[in-house]
Amino acid sequence: MLDAARQLFEDVGYEAATIRDIARRAGVSVGSVFTGFSSKAHVLGEVIRGRREELYADLERVAPHLRGSTADRVRSLFAVHYAFEFRRLKLFLAYISVAFEWREARESTDLPVLGTNPRLVGMIRDCLAEGVARGDVSSLLDLDQAVDLLLGAYVWNYRLAAGDGADSERLVSRFDHQIGVLFEGFRPAR
Amino acid sequence: MNHFTYGGLTASEPAERPSQRALAKQRTREKIVGAAKALFAEHGYEGATIRDIAKAAGMSTGAVFASFTDKADLFTDIAETEQAELHAAMRAAGEDKAGREAILAMLKAAAKRHLASLALFQAIMSALWTPFLAEKTRRRLDRRPAAALIIAGVEQEIGDGSGGCVRFIAEMIWDGYLATLRRAALDGLTPELVNARIRDQTNTILAGVRRG
Repeated sequence: MLDAARQLFEDVGYEAATIRDIARRAGVSVGSVFTGFSSKAHVLGEVIRGRREELYADLERVAPHLRGSTADRVRSLFAVHYAFEFRRLKLFLAYISVAFEWREARESTDLPVLGTNPRLVGMIRDCLAEGVARGDVSSLLDLDQAVDLLLGAYVWNYRLAAGDGADSERLVSRFDHQIGVLFEGFRPAR
Repeated sequence: MNHFTYGGLTASEPAERPSQRALAKQRTREKIVGAAKALFAEHGYEGATIRDIAKAAGMSTGAVFASFTDKADLFTDIAETEQAELHAAMRAAGEDKAGREAILAMLKAAAKRHLASLALFQAIMSALWTPFLAEKTRRRLDRRPAAALIIAGVEQEIGDGSGGCVRFIAEMIWDGYLATLRRAALDGLTPELVNARIRDQTNTILAGVRRG
């Protein structure tokens, strides 16, 4: 059922897809979709959760082998993100749209709240903390705030994909530039 | 109470007395917009229906459609008004200042407005990511004018030696601002904390430009 939903969201978009369409494509009854899921957002949430698992497993394999400056390490982590989400771009844009309804996302557990996954936040935070130890990130930096800033820049860049049809290469290069500015700002003052 | 402007017709415009008919039409629009703002804020763009909006405004769905082509048209009208008011408030706050001071004053003015109606702001942000609405809306709503307001401040702060980098930095500052607002909505940050975060991260970005 989740495979059918994922394909459908990708083909016709999240808004246009109905529970009935999902049931038809999965070859089950509408009732049985509602047995497993409370709403369409719930289905999207489960599709996204499944994909998160794949992405974070990849990232956790990559993370211990990162080398270079803290900026370069963070660049590598996010380059994996862009490459991954661009494989199912429409799906991810639909998720951003729905996830921006942060109030409802918080009230129900149906949908993962964008940018707050503890594994993702932890990975970037660890990378910054190592940077503090290494000396290229200021010990005065508020790490949680820095993670928000990085994730904010990462997510907002997708508006170029939504509106201007930008490809992943353009987003990665823009984000590389943003990381350059931010990490200069994160450096200890001389 | 917000003051709305529709197609150049404003309540305070003295030039020609609008006819009774035009006044009634405007009052109807205001009633619809008032009801719609509350429902979009509560249920989001998708969740609010024209039927609910008509009911809350105390009129038929037909009467709503006489004033607005469809839900997207009504929503875009509201978003446009919000945006115009936001920009006026930001411009006024930055008027007598320059550089970093102007940027921070403008962001503080923006935060004051946004924090007062976070739910509506969230509905607008969400809708801008919705592909089918964005197609229609893009023609009416420039998505980056707030960043454009910040450009002048950035230029004064870092000098014009940086070329095309100025817009890029202004957008970074604005995106950082939006990330902070989102955090404010998630964690219920106080306005003081929001302003402190905006100040810190704007300083981080500007320091990054100077060092880089």
